[in-house]
Amino acid sequence: MEHRQRLHDALPRPNHDESARQDFVASLRQYSGRVLGAANYKLYKAKVEPAFDKARGRPPASVDEVRPLMTAEPYYQFWSATQRNSQEMMWDSVIDTVERHQSDLNDKAAKPGPLGTLDLDPSLKVPAYHTAYDIHLQPGGYHTEQADADVAAGAIYDLGVPIYALGMMGTDNNSTGDTLVNWYRNAYPQARPERVLDLGCAIGNSTAPWVKAYPETEAHGVDVAAPCLRYGHMRANALGLPVHLSQQNAEKLNYPDNHFDVVASALLFHETSRPAVKRIFEECFRVLKPGGVAIHFDGFFTGAQEPILEFLGLWEVYNNNEKFLAALRTLDVVKINDEIGFADVGFQTSPFVVDLPPLKLTATAGEKGYMASAFGDVPLLIAVKPAA
Amino acid sequence: MNDTATTKPAPLARAAKGRKPQYFADPATDKLLSMVLALTQELSVARDRIDTLERLLDRAGVLAADKVEAYLPTPDEAAARADLRAAMLRRVFRAAEKEAQDLAGGGEPSATAPEALDVLS
Repeated sequence: MEHRQRLHDALPRPNHDESARQDFVASLRQYSGRVLGAANYKLYKAKVEPAFDKARGRPPASVDEVRPLMTAEPYYQFWSATQRNSQEMMWDSVIDTVERHQSDLNDKAAKPGPLGTLDLDPSLKVPAYHTAYDIHLQPGGYHTEQADADVAAGAIYDLGVPIYALGMMGTDNNSTGDTLVNWYRNAYPQARPERVLDLGCAIGNSTAPWVKAYPETEAHGVDVAAPCLRYGHMRANALGLPVHLSQQNAEKLNYPDNHFDVVASALLFHETSRPAVKRIFEECFRVLKPGGVAIHFDGFFTGAQEPILEFLGLWEVYNNNEKFLAALRTLDVVKINDEIGFADVGFQTSPFVVDLPPLKLTATAGEKGYMASAFGDVPLLIAVKPAA
Repeated sequence: MNDTATTKPAPLARAAKGRKPQYFADPATDKLLSMVLALTQELSVARDRIDTLERLLDRAGVLAADKVEAYLPTPDEAAARADLRAAMLRRVFRAAEKEAQDLAGGGEPSATAPEALDVLS
């Protein structure tokens, strides 16, 4: 294995051939995403759009018009099927490793670590948007208990994310957390937050960067998935970064009003539902202290783009069980936050922070298509709770 | 140390819940692509393993790295390897070879499925 990911003590170790299989999937994803994927936009520009224009006297105006044309193209079919296979192979290759270590991992996780806390709620109902289908094709999703007091989903996620993200998630899958911290540090250079809350924290990989940046901060993370939180507690102890992980639904938090200086979320909203989005923003407002700030990173709609780019950006919706992303992009999240009472609501562009050197096959400047714009500068949704 | 018998958990789930798209007009093509990718993956795993062996042998002073490139089989070794390659080609081209044999035999149709099962049972 290239071992760009830190081999912390909680991470199950792949053996030689498992590593080789995982490395192959990483290479396949880079190749399929970067080299083969880049041709889809060119195919559209060279063939699909001109043909439509000739027949109709105008280019396609929407994703609905682009989708049937592209999905009928043999090249797109082949690329898309390859990309889908790479996602399935990714999970399969890391499940081999986790399955081999599962008993040991679960035994180890049964003993609470000295750093941070773990608070599980067996009565919590996992929402239908997690149980209806397995998000991003992870078998069992984030939440399924595949053994008693299971951590498998968390370990699978920790091993899978670096392969998924084309090497752009950092040494400890910390890039999304680092990105939010970096924005906060620049916006509030003097601030030393007392408490931070990370919503939809999974294994706490986006929570830990807050403690790393602000060692005095009490960093809390909530998620509905117990296997991820159990693993996250063990992982936080392995990394030496104390976080307080709690099994809660972000739509209805157990924290008191006016409690946090910062409420953060990284890639949470596109894995929820339309009613959940509004409720989560309302909860952000309630638990923030007056003057506190909410920072959200996700695939929100920030402005119209060419229909082909919107279509390619929605590949995960049609092919990777990220189904709510399409509906999320129809929501005016700025307006929702304004109506709740937030001030200074809007998108701010900030660098996506990666603490690793880029891989050879990373996006080139000006490249258009699937995941081409995922890295570099990203828009963050910012909302401030007015001071009392 | 641990006196409780650790029972091996059930195998982890391998299929994601949710409808899988069909990408090609013929669903067999979808399956073939999955097979080709999995075979490429296994070839990659085997090559990594050979590479690991060569590097470890070199590091242990057992076999210098350039020895593999410089290797020339003896005539006997070359013949044995040619046999191995021919056997592999026959396995890979099994279906085509059967068709070729049927054509050479005067256009007799391939064995039907029940006949093939008779042979196997």
